[in-house]
Amino acid sequence: MIDLFAMAVSHGLMLLAAWRLLSRDDLDRDAPPARAGDET
Amino acid sequence: MRDLALVAFLVLLLGFGLRRPFLLVLGYVYIDIVSPQRLSYNLLTSIPISQIFFLAAFLGWLIRDDKKGLRVAPRQWLLCFLLAWVAFTTFTADFPVEALEKWDWAWKALVFAIFLPFTLRTKLRLETLLLLMTLSAATIIIIGGIKTILSGGGYGVLNLGVDNNSGLYESSIISTLAIGLIPIILYLRKYGTIFPTDWRVNAFAGALIFACLLMPIGTEARTGLVCMAVLGVLMLRDNKRRFLYMAGTAFALMVSIPFLPASFTQRMDTIEGYQGDESASTRIAVWAWTWNYVQEHPLGGGFEAYRGNKISFQTTGTKAAGNVEVVVAANLTDEGRAYHSSYFEMLGEQGWPGFLAWLALHATGLVRMEILRRRYRRSEGREAWIAPLATTLQHSHIIYLIGSLFVGIAFQSFVYMWMAIEIGLDAYCRKLGTGEAKSGWGKTRLQPTKAIAKPA
Repeated sequence: MIDLFAMAVSHGLMLLAAWRLLSRDDLDRDAPPARAGDET
Repeated sequence: MRDLALVAFLVLLLGFGLRRPFLLVLGYVYIDIVSPQRLSYNLLTSIPISQIFFLAAFLGWLIRDDKKGLRVAPRQWLLCFLLAWVAFTTFTADFPVEALEKWDWAWKALVFAIFLPFTLRTKLRLETLLLLMTLSAATIIIIGGIKTILSGGGYGVLNLGVDNNSGLYESSIISTLAIGLIPIILYLRKYGTIFPTDWRVNAFAGALIFACLLMPIGTEARTGLVCMAVLGVLMLRDNKRRFLYMAGTAFALMVSIPFLPASFTQRMDTIEGYQGDESASTRIAVWAWTWNYVQEHPLGGGFEAYRGNKISFQTTGTKAAGNVEVVVAANLTDEGRAYHSSYFEMLGEQGWPGFLAWLALHATGLVRMEILRRRYRRSEGREAWIAPLATTLQHSHIIYLIGSLFVGIAFQSFVYMWMAIEIGLDAYCRKLGTGEAKSGWGKTRLQPTKAIAKPA
């Protein structure tokens, strides 16, 4: 039970991270210097 | 059910990797750390998932990734040398069959460490790799943390989800690395952009750090306690409220001691009185044997050379006899005892050339992180994360090097991944370096101090 819980938490978070990365263009190329979204 | 979920997870990662090839690299890292094939009952055991992901990651990088400005860092050359040297000592090993078994996984750690920095071209990739390593290790650490709270754990007793006591699942190794992970969790909590700071991130980071601290307690690995002390000192370095921190730590320690299992406190007491402890005495005897061995075999004995040792050592302890305590000394002999130290592991197995190359790798990493730490200390805006990351990596590295004094983890792939991130960060900063033309130890040295600026 504990094993399953720990696996579900860590694997769930890894999947969520991977999902979020799909839409991040700065994964493959750093954003240009004047990135507007930095401070917002 | 668990098997199916793991397969679905890997298939999803492969699918994501088609869109973002870097995710395939992460897939390999995950497999290397968590070993899902060991968590699985049968479905994954028959598929060479590790090879599949490595090949896919390499091809993805080769075909799709931007390779502009690609450069082999000096530490990658050193890793190449180490790989060649390890191949040589394996070929000439004292125990060729056993040596091949270790070679089988050790070479992969080295090859991946050489390859990994090529892929770490952006800030987000550095962060992603750190996050994935943390979450992968969290699989084991969360299990250990909860079981420690519920049962109290015990040396060699705590079940971390698999029966196999190897890789990260070994108690001393996971205790050392869990403590080394704490600075990284703190960094990700503050500077992470995939999971930006909010109350959920804070809560998870806090719980995970607590679980990391429980690992040495649950596994009763003394090395972990030593690492915790080192971490405590390192945290003082950049702490602005040192007294508050020290008072808080002392208070937390005082409060937590009554909650520690009795077997833990008894075992930790043996750090001081090591003469009475067989495990500690054999270590010292093995280290002495290794030192003598390398005098006769300066090129090392190859993997598993310790199997040739035959050592005798003495333990002293006290025994109650009526009202008096009698000192009891015992002479014991043993053979084929493992090194229990990465330093002696390297020295005995790889001889002086391998040991010095390995030492140079780590020393360079520490020095380079110190240089970056100082250069970017006052950077703001887009470069504000660099100095904290360099500090974080350096602290984790120091904790590993101290833990390594007592655990044979010279070829632990987790550590080579940390090293690859250091190389990646270094290369990233080299590319960035055009902006403020940073060089030397730091630009702040030239600024006048208050004392100098005072009018005469």
